[in-house]
Amino acid sequence: MTIAEPQRTHALNTTRTSIAAASVGLATRNLRGIRRLPSAFLPALLMPVFQAIAFSGTFYAITQIPGFPTDRSINWFLPLGVLMGSGFAGVGIGLAAIRDIETGFYDRLRMTPAPRASLITGPLLGAVARSAVVTTLVVAVGMLVGARLSDGIIGLVPTYVAGLGMAIAGTGWGLGLAFRFGDMRAAAIMQLTLFVGLFLSEAQTPLYVMEGWLHGVARVNPFTNVLRLARQGWLGEVTWDNTWGGVLALAVISALTLWFARRGLDKLDG
Amino acid sequence: MTVTVDGASSGDTGARVALHPSHVAQTWAMSKRAIIAMWRQPSLVVPSIVFPLFFLALGTSSFARATDVPGFPAVDSYLDFAFAGAIVQGVLFGSITGATALATDIENGFFDRLLASPSTRPGIIVGRLAGGMAYGAAQTIFFMLVLLPFGLTIKGGPIGALALVLSGTLLALTVGALMSMMAMRTGSSEAVQGSFPLVFIALFFSSAFFPRETMNGIYATFADYNPVSYLVEGMRDLVIEGLSVWALVRAVLLPAALAAGAVALSMRSLNKRLAAS
Repeated sequence: MTIAEPQRTHALNTTRTSIAAASVGLATRNLRGIRRLPSAFLPALLMPVFQAIAFSGTFYAITQIPGFPTDRSINWFLPLGVLMGSGFAGVGIGLAAIRDIETGFYDRLRMTPAPRASLITGPLLGAVARSAVVTTLVVAVGMLVGARLSDGIIGLVPTYVAGLGMAIAGTGWGLGLAFRFGDMRAAAIMQLTLFVGLFLSEAQTPLYVMEGWLHGVARVNPFTNVLRLARQGWLGEVTWDNTWGGVLALAVISALTLWFARRGLDKLDG
Repeated sequence: MTVTVDGASSGDTGARVALHPSHVAQTWAMSKRAIIAMWRQPSLVVPSIVFPLFFLALGTSSFARATDVPGFPAVDSYLDFAFAGAIVQGVLFGSITGATALATDIENGFFDRLLASPSTRPGIIVGRLAGGMAYGAAQTIFFMLVLLPFGLTIKGGPIGALALVLSGTLLALTVGALMSMMAMRTGSSEAVQGSFPLVFIALFFSSAFFPRETMNGIYATFADYNPVSYLVEGMRDLVIEGLSVWALVRAVLLPAALAAGAVALSMRSLNKRLAAS
C-alpha cells in the first residue's frame, strides 16, 4: 500500500493589492495592448499628425487674415492635433474597456481583490503614457514641416500639460460611457462628443475672426481655453493669463468625467 | 435587342451571356435591397450627411473673413464656396458605407448564397452601385434643400443644380465601384473601412475647402495633381460663377470618365472572384 503524499498547497494570498500595484499592472496591460492590437491605436496616433499637416496646408491662407496671431499655419493647427490625439488616446481606453466587458474579462477583473479605484487609475496611467507618445510624435513631425516654438523650449510645457489633461478627460468620459452602455454603441458617442466639443471652439480660427453662431458657442466652450493653453508656446510668450483658464477647464472637466466613470463602475457592480 | 455582359448566369462564370429581362429584375431587386439596407440602418449613413453639413456650418462661421484674402475667388459667402466640397465629402463617405455592406455580404456568406442561386452575376455589383448612385443623388439634393434657406446661391440656376446632382451621382458610382473592387479583392469589411484615411487624404489634399491659389509649397503641388481638385472646382464653378462648358466638363464628364474606368475595374475584380470560387 502506498500512501499518497499530501499535496503542497500555497497559502491563500488574502492581502489586499495596493492601488498603486494594481494600477501599474493594469496600465502595463493597457500599453501591451498597443503591441497586440496596433490597429486600435495607430489611427489615434496617425490621425492627429495627418490632421495637423492637412489643416495647415488646406487652411494656410487664414494666416493672411489681418491680426492673425502667427504667420505659420502649422503653429496654429499643431496644438489642435495634440489635443485631438490625446483626447482620442483617452477615448481609446474606453474602447478597450468595451472590448473587455464584451469578452467577459472585466467581470474577472472585478472579482479580483484589486481596489475598485485601480480599475480607473490603471487605464488612466495608460492613457497618460499614450498621450505623451502622441504629443511627442505630433510635435516632432510638426517641427519637421515648419512649426517653431515662439517662447523657447518652455513653450512645450503647456502643450504637454493640455495633452495630458485631454487624455485624462477623454479616459473618464470613455470609461464612463463604456461602463454604462457595455457595448460598442458607446464608441460612437464618445468619439463624436469629443470631436464636436473640440471643433465648436477656437479650433480652426481665433474668436475675433469668427462670425455668427459659432462665435457665441466658442466663447463659452471650455475647450477654447484649453486650446489657448496648448497654443501659447507656439503663438507668443507663455503667460499666466493664457494658462489658468485652460488648466481650470481641464481640472473641472477631468474631475467631472472621472466622477462619471466611477459612478458608472459602481453601477456596473450593482 | 440583346446586350451582352460577362458571366450573367450561374455556372457561366466569365462567359458572355445575353441580358435577359429577369436579369434586369434581379439587378433592380439588388438595388432595392441596397437602398432599403441604408434606410433600415440610418446609423450607417447619417455620418455621411451630418459631418459634411457640420463642417460646412463650422467653416461658414470660421472662415467668413478668409474669403477676402488674396487668391480667393469673388464669392457671396464661404457657404457658396465650400458647398461643392461638402457634396464631394458626403458622397465619398457614403460610398465607403455601400462598399462595406458588400464586403459584409462576402464575410457573412450572403455573397456565396447569391452565387449558388441562378442570379445574374454583374447584377450583384451593378445593383449595389445603383443603390450607391441613388444615395449620392439623394445626398446632393438633401444638401441643397437644407442649405438654400441658409443663403446658398447656385448661380448656374436649375440646370446648374441638375448638373450638381448628376455629378454627385457619377461620383458615387466612381467611388462605389473602386471601393467595391477593394471589397471583392479583400472580402473584408475592415479593409474597406481601412481605406477611409485614403479618402480623407484625397479630400484634404485638394481644393475642396480652400482654393489652390491660396496654398503654397508641396501642398499646392499635391492639390494640383489631385483629380478631386478639378472635380470640386467644376462643381464649384456651377455654384459661384454659373453655367459654362468648362465647368460642365469638369463637373460631369470628368466623373463620368472616372466612373467608366472604375466600373470596368470592379467588374474585372468580380470576374476574378467568380473564377476563383
